[in-house]
Amino acid sequence: MKAFYLIPVLFLYSSLSFGQTIISGTIKSANGLPLANANIQLKGSYDGTSSDNNGNYKFSSDEKGTQVIICSALNYEADSIRIELGTKPVLANLILKEATNQLQTVTISAGSFVAGDGKKGAVLSALDIATTAGTRADVFAALQTLPGTQVNFSESGLFVRGGAAAETKTYFDGLLVKSPFNASVPDKASRGRLSPFLFKGTSFSAGGYSAQYGQALSSALILESTDLPEKTTTGISLLSVGGGVDQNIRYKNSSITVGGYYYNLSPVYNLIKQQTNFVKAPEQLGGNVHYKLKTSETGMLKVYAAYSKSKFSLMENDNNTLADQFFLSNNNDNTYLNASYKEFLNASWKLEAGFAYNKDSDEGLKVLDQYSRGDHLMEEKLTLTHYYGKLSNLKFGLETFGTGREESLGTLTHEYKDQISSGFAESDIFLSSKLVVRLGLRTEYSSYLDRYNLAPRASLGIKTAANDQLSMAYGRFYQNPEDEYLIIKPTNFEQADHYILKYERNTDDRNFRVEAFYKDYRGLTKVNAGVPDNSGNGYAQGFELFWRDKKSIKDADFWISYSFLDTRRNFRDFPTAATPSFAAKHTASLVFKKFVNAINTQVGAAYSFASGRTYYNPNNPVYLADKTKSYNNLSFTVSHLTHILKQFTVLYVNANNVPGFKNVYGYNYSNDGLSRQAKLPSARRDLFVGLLMTIGDNTFVR
Amino acid sequence: MKNLKNTLLLMLVIFSLNSFAQDNNPKLDEAIKKGLDMINSAKAAEDLMKSANYFERIAQVESKAWLPQYYAAYSNLSAGLESADKKVKDQLWDKALQEIEQANNLSPENSEIYALKGYLEYMKLSIDPQSRLNYMGQSAASLEQAKKINPDNPRIYLISGQNKFFTPEAFGGGKTNAKPILETAAAKFTIFKATSPLMPNWGAERLKTLLAQCN
Repeated sequence: MKAFYLIPVLFLYSSLSFGQTIISGTIKSANGLPLANANIQLKGSYDGTSSDNNGNYKFSSDEKGTQVIICSALNYEADSIRIELGTKPVLANLILKEATNQLQTVTISAGSFVAGDGKKGAVLSALDIATTAGTRADVFAALQTLPGTQVNFSESGLFVRGGAAAETKTYFDGLLVKSPFNASVPDKASRGRLSPFLFKGTSFSAGGYSAQYGQALSSALILESTDLPEKTTTGISLLSVGGGVDQNIRYKNSSITVGGYYYNLSPVYNLIKQQTNFVKAPEQLGGNVHYKLKTSETGMLKVYAAYSKSKFSLMENDNNTLADQFFLSNNNDNTYLNASYKEFLNASWKLEAGFAYNKDSDEGLKVLDQYSRGDHLMEEKLTLTHYYGKLSNLKFGLETFGTGREESLGTLTHEYKDQISSGFAESDIFLSSKLVVRLGLRTEYSSYLDRYNLAPRASLGIKTAANDQLSMAYGRFYQNPEDEYLIIKPTNFEQADHYILKYERNTDDRNFRVEAFYKDYRGLTKVNAGVPDNSGNGYAQGFELFWRDKKSIKDADFWISYSFLDTRRNFRDFPTAATPSFAAKHTASLVFKKFVNAINTQVGAAYSFASGRTYYNPNNPVYLADKTKSYNNLSFTVSHLTHILKQFTVLYVNANNVPGFKNVYGYNYSNDGLSRQAKLPSARRDLFVGLLMTIGDNTFVR
Repeated sequence: MKNLKNTLLLMLVIFSLNSFAQDNNPKLDEAIKKGLDMINSAKAAEDLMKSANYFERIAQVESKAWLPQYYAAYSNLSAGLESADKKVKDQLWDKALQEIEQANNLSPENSEIYALKGYLEYMKLSIDPQSRLNYMGQSAASLEQAKKINPDNPRIYLISGQNKFFTPEAFGGGKTNAKPILETAAAKFTIFKATSPLMPNWGAERLKTLLAQCN
């Protein structure tokens, strides 16, 4: 009985194997390379196999009739072929096209430096910004180690490619930040208000940037805030200058961070002698709230609000006589609100909306007169992005902001108000994965100036090899004159044209970039007998080198940057075209970091160099012809990772200008030209100690 | 009444067994079994790439079953571990992450899927820890989720112990910190019984190797 059963089974089996068709072939790339481990499959069945090292494959199938073979391989685009399965063996060869690998796709890169975690084209990580020696976790100080920027400690702001500080604008989630710096002491740079830990991505553009951003002649610093934190944690910081606490609470689809801090520099100033004669050392109290809500799989709402209050008073040198000092006090109040919403309307349309409010007011006593100054900005912005093709997109939007200043000294008062409304459109057109063109146009109307402008922008990227890219950019940029001139009278837009050429080579562990630029300035503000007009002009040209290497030294990482700058301009109260005092011809920096596992410590060093800057000497008939000696600074930082009360703790020490180089930023001359006083850093050497503790997490990532 | 209750209970048992057995598809079960043999007999990265291809082919057809996607991801993870080239590792793990995401869509709230996801995210971090710190939190969150769904899944403890093992001491890792977690894993492995021979049941050998290095 059993044997009888077996017969049909055997028969069936043999007929099956008899009816199988053998399918074989070779899988190759477009340039003829055999592809190993490609996946070959008969669509709709399990039948298939992987190719061998010569790209050959062979399998058999019971399927009959018209069938489709699908083939896929890592880094190649899947392809398919139709075959007819009968009794005869089938030969099916396939040639696969290289896939547009994200990392090997060309990018818009002229002029820009990207920092961020896991970001395409990122040169620095978010942590790099925070841990660069000498910067004390200040975004702006860290950016001064990148090419194109000046090392500047005597005035707040970023001085980029011959531009003044006011030519660089800061954007927080796409919205302009009117007052990104703390109140500054005369002739000293102050820190940025925004902590680097707020941001997951920083894009610093030294020129040729997107039409989304306006009102900046030289540079745009684009900061993108972090998304939901992974966990609920508490952070405590104890610093040599004060301390802070913040609480991160994570809910399922939202999070809220509430923080507060208090800084008082007077104990440190008692230990480290300051050049400035403080009556009351700077003191600051502030707080912030950051709320984030994931509104859907692709939607995100973020609201950031911050308030801070600071004060100081000092005896300032009288620049007329240099012998006398006069009293200056400052109380600063700053309120900042930023709300942004992002959502994909469907697979190919994205909407971004934002609102920002910023109010910054200073008041105090200057000699005997009460002074006050208030800057404000209220901005609304709407952007729509349409994605088309594989990589291309079209972006367009509207932006409007009301801004202005009111100031008073004694009984004198001034004010101005302006509403700047803009429209922009821009498209990234990928002609292939190796060639991209960006074309953009921006138009602005200023109600105070009662004028329009039209700014074309263009950028081009060509992938010349797997890791090499060539980029070019042209753009016209406009901005309103600085508040101090606008408050006197409305004039006209200032204008700059940028021309940029860049070559870069990026691998996982090394980045090399060289970039050359030319900038043509027109309509710069000039002041004749106290009255501003737009008769100024100037140029800036130069080149920059950047090299970052994470491979050559084990466990270590370093970057070198060098900038050459040749610039002359005739603006402000200049009697003639000259190189301004904020533009050094040669600037270089070397940043080094190494993690020493044996002692759980990251050590870092940074060296910066800048050749002499010009300064005004009334005894020299040639304007701005004198130069200071060159600037040198060598700073060290040590971050020791440990646990205190089982909580993850970082002990951080930063020592600035360890060798004690005597740096001079320039000179102030008395009215008669007979005596002068050097502008010096606030202290020759500086030491900063901090302890940062994270509660609720046994790793330091928050 | 008692009969009805028993019948209901029986139905429930059958139903749940059924769902574990992926809608009772003997052809699929047979295919997965064959694929698992491929993984187990793999000797080099290439063999694992082939088993990944094999499971990807099954996944193409069985668009409702999570196991083929899961084992494709597991094969790609293992192939990456066996590869020497950083770039290849990175690409294989990217692919594996996509596959585990697919598996998650097909079988949400699955402890095994979250555990493997946590493994993959940590490996993505290891390629360039300096600039990929974001993966550290993601991996911890995935493992946390896996534990929430099934605290008795031994692979969660194996993976989080292993993550600790390879994290520098300064960052809260190191052998001493890893050991107690790996020991928990060992205890969980002794009582763990896969609901079917096709279900994930890997890791005991790997655990032994790691624990041996902790002493």
